[in-house]
Amino acid sequence: MKRGRLIAIDGIDLRRVRTAAREAIHAIGASRAGVSHWDSSGVFHELALVRGVAAPRTLLVLYAADLAFRVRWEIAPAIAEGRTVVAAPYVATAMALGRAVGLPAPWMANLLRFAPRPTEARIAESDRASLTRAAGFVSVAYERWAEPAGVDSDALTREIARHLRPRRARR
Amino acid sequence: MRLPIDARNRALRGRVRRHFEQHPRRGLLVAFEGPDGSGKTTQRKLFKTWLVAEGYDVVTTKWNSSDLIKPIIKGRKAARALSPEEFSLLHVADFRCRMDAEVLPALWEGKIVIADRFLFTGLARDAARGLEFDHVLKLYQPLVWPDMVFYFSVSPTTSRTRVAADRVPNFYEAGQDVTDIVDPVESYQRFITRVIREYDSLSNIFNFTTVDAEQGIAEQHQRLRELFREAERRPWSSWNVDAFAEWIATGLPA
Repeated sequence: MKRGRLIAIDGIDLRRVRTAAREAIHAIGASRAGVSHWDSSGVFHELALVRGVAAPRTLLVLYAADLAFRVRWEIAPAIAEGRTVVAAPYVATAMALGRAVGLPAPWMANLLRFAPRPTEARIAESDRASLTRAAGFVSVAYERWAEPAGVDSDALTREIARHLRPRRARR
Repeated sequence: MRLPIDARNRALRGRVRRHFEQHPRRGLLVAFEGPDGSGKTTQRKLFKTWLVAEGYDVVTTKWNSSDLIKPIIKGRKAARALSPEEFSLLHVADFRCRMDAEVLPALWEGKIVIADRFLFTGLARDAARGLEFDHVLKLYQPLVWPDMVFYFSVSPTTSRTRVAADRVPNFYEAGQDVTDIVDPVESYQRFITRVIREYDSLSNIFNFTTVDAEQGIAEQHQRLRELFREAERRPWSSWNVDAFAEWIATGLPA
């Protein structure tokens, strides 16, 4: 059977990422492709029910736990069936946050090493002002870490945007 | 603008070193490790009572107990929904939360922290589930090395007998997610044998202080007192600079 394709779409604003994913699915054909959404595992949904702060490393570990779930149940099976799966977002969003705050690249690479390399990787452009309104991982990082730690949201957004680049696609 | 996290920051590292060199009573981290049924919780409680009576300020942290992550893990364990990778990552997240909120602030203030299980529990269990040791160890970086690790050593049969005397081991405790054995007690015996093998390796690599947990309770406790008296005189370990520097740089309130 022909191996499926993995299209990674990352970005700061989850709504833009979802829109880009819908457009990608439309272009491919809905019968041949599906989307793997952020927080399919519900980790961040459950996190929202509990008060408390979390450091960026902890948030990245949670991101990885959610992604491990998505790879196991959504991404790997779709690829194995020869389908196309759009991961929205994938690893670049988390890596960008980690780079923006200065976490070591080897640590992040080890953390996300289970994630298969995408066939194609894209970035959904976003407007910086949307950070505090948008749901998604960056917004969680803002609420759980940046705001309690007194980090300016604009500065954080600018840094993440600077580091946001697609993971190298599989040749 | 520079964002605040940078554990390699020289000034921050210098601040950490000075703090621990100059603090009149340095914090101490004491980890209690060992398989279920090894009696470490009994010893941990006795040890804490003794330290408090001696005038020490003592904080206890337990495995899988953070307010933020524990509910997430609990629900998934009940649903038997965790792969070994997810199991590992969520326990790392719980550990990190407790380090940032409980362990590092207490050590910074010069308190004694007693950890009822530390990262070695994650290493032993994850390795027993088939994950690579190096991969798991890196997940726990930046590492904090305890001043003392008391390893309560028992045989797999003793562990199984003690655990199964009170209750049926739960699904993940029995390692049924990886053994494919239907009977929880039988699965526990198989899984704990692997876990103990990993613990024994860790004990050799990281030079744990082994306590023969098949001995009497009073005898073990006396031994812990003696070992503590020897260890508290050691200088502060500069290996932990990175973890403290990152914790300070993160800027979160304790």
